[in-house]
Amino acid sequence: MTLDSNTSQPADGNLAVADAGAAIAARGLRRDFKGGIEAVRDIDLTVAAGEVFGFLGPNGAGKTTTVRMLCTLLPPTSGSATVAGLDVVRDGAEVRRRIGVALQEIGLDPVQTGRELLELQCGLYGITGRQGKLRAQELLELVGLVDAAERRTKTYSGGMKRRLDLASALVHSPEVLFLDEPTTGLDPASRLTVWDEVRRINASGTTVFLTTQYLEEADKLCDRLAIIDEGQIVAEGTPEQLKAQMGHDVVSLSLDGADIAATEAALSGLPGLERVVVEPDALALYVEDGASSIAEIVRRLDRDGIRVAAITVSRPSLDDVFLRATGRRLEGQEQQSQQPAAATS
Amino acid sequence: MTEVLLLGRRAVREVVRYPEATIPTLFIPLFFLVVNIGQVSKTFPSTTPFLRGQGYVAFQLPVSLMFAVATATSGLALVTEIDLGYFDKLLVAPIRRSSIIFGRLTADLVRGIAGSGLVLLVGIALGARIQSGVLGALLIVLLSAAFGVAYAGFGVLIALRTRNVQATQSSFLLFFPLLFLTPNFVPFDRLSSLMETLARINPISYVIVGIRSLVIDGWDAGKIGVCVLVIVALGIILTALSLRAIATYDR
Repeated sequence: MTLDSNTSQPADGNLAVADAGAAIAARGLRRDFKGGIEAVRDIDLTVAAGEVFGFLGPNGAGKTTTVRMLCTLLPPTSGSATVAGLDVVRDGAEVRRRIGVALQEIGLDPVQTGRELLELQCGLYGITGRQGKLRAQELLELVGLVDAAERRTKTYSGGMKRRLDLASALVHSPEVLFLDEPTTGLDPASRLTVWDEVRRINASGTTVFLTTQYLEEADKLCDRLAIIDEGQIVAEGTPEQLKAQMGHDVVSLSLDGADIAATEAALSGLPGLERVVVEPDALALYVEDGASSIAEIVRRLDRDGIRVAAITVSRPSLDDVFLRATGRRLEGQEQQSQQPAAATS
Repeated sequence: MTEVLLLGRRAVREVVRYPEATIPTLFIPLFFLVVNIGQVSKTFPSTTPFLRGQGYVAFQLPVSLMFAVATATSGLALVTEIDLGYFDKLLVAPIRRSSIIFGRLTADLVRGIAGSGLVLLVGIALGARIQSGVLGALLIVLLSAAFGVAYAGFGVLIALRTRNVQATQSSFLLFFPLLFLTPNFVPFDRLSSLMETLARINPISYVIVGIRSLVIDGWDAGKIGVCVLVIVALGIILTALSLRAIATYDR
């Protein structure tokens, strides 16, 4: 169920043509695990060269499994994918030469110093001797770890480890960079540093595919994004396009125990109402003009004797997009029960 | 080849920087050497025929050498790496997966040479005389280290198959029956018939007998040849299984 797609999804016959030149293309990509777990369910993706593409979803949505398949670490159960124009199964070795990877679990060897780790990483990509030393120094400078370069990585803070991991993914100037939750667990300052890094890397021509569970990260950093939930892509587009689909303004009613059905009935036919989404003990009304709707909303609630705790007006966020697509909010990771037919246009 | 050297150098660096991982593995062989000699030296004085005029330490030394080199250290290092995520980083690099194994085995060779060298020196200090001379002593260290490399494949295999630290750690326990169902305390012909049968089908027996021959007998081409053959065969089998395990890891 894709809400909308701005990445022209071509008819099957034109797949090859459409995917030519794409940094990443996946068709019907699927991964099942033992015990009937469908981690990724037949997803289609196209990421253009030079994009920062975000994969937004809660824990367990299938983000990491997708990244592992695209990085050749895990074979798909079915479907196919190409990275830098190469098939991830058939041309795995060549794909590995073209990609940089920083996985969610920061892959650092605690026994080595930052410099040793980068020099070894250079060596594994064929950059040896003086060239390797120079490249390691360059990357240490890039991620601001020169002062800590001679320390073993086990003494690094979370932010430093993340930056070193990022640097180690860049030794060979990859065409496509995969970042699996690059800022999870980081303090806000470190998060901003990583964002700056990602922007700089992207500005030099590297396509970036990043997964995140942070709305702000997807919003601020990504040219385009896909929302993944329970192994399926449920929405795709630029952050602006996705938010624009939601309507103009959101009026949120905190119900504080008021009857949901009665409140919905009272507001039905509200002028300018584009969509209503029911949340536990709350209603989100997507309206043409939030400020001018408030008077009418209050009048109707008053007429029907419905008391609400608060009414707020805001612009739709990616969380609203996520709510509409999945029936729950991503912010705070609350597991709310999905209400059938909750979203009505 | 460069990859193997790079990963080998890293693994050796790990051995040097984490002596706490190696030192305990040397405690058991030295402990057994001292305790066993202390307990049975009166039962087996140097006049005992199979000792050929030497103290019991000469007979026991090869067993301690086996203990010193047969460790699950590489397997444990690998499974820790899997846990930490660094293993994924290596898998996603454009290198042959086999180089990850060979890099680890390089460290086993270095660790084996250092460990068996130390145990041999302690044995000599306790009175053992190497009948095959200095060259023989070098060969003893080399054979022991080679056995350590061959045996390391077992820990690596368990690490890759189970991805579990405890399972990899306990793989070492399997070595106890293998080491004790051998002519470790007395020669084949002094064992009970059941024990002799078990010892004769246990390949480790021939590694011990070969190394022991260099200590007690001098140069016995037959015994050394069989010893080399067993080590090479064990190495080929366990390394091949490890290589297959890493080649099919998540595939």
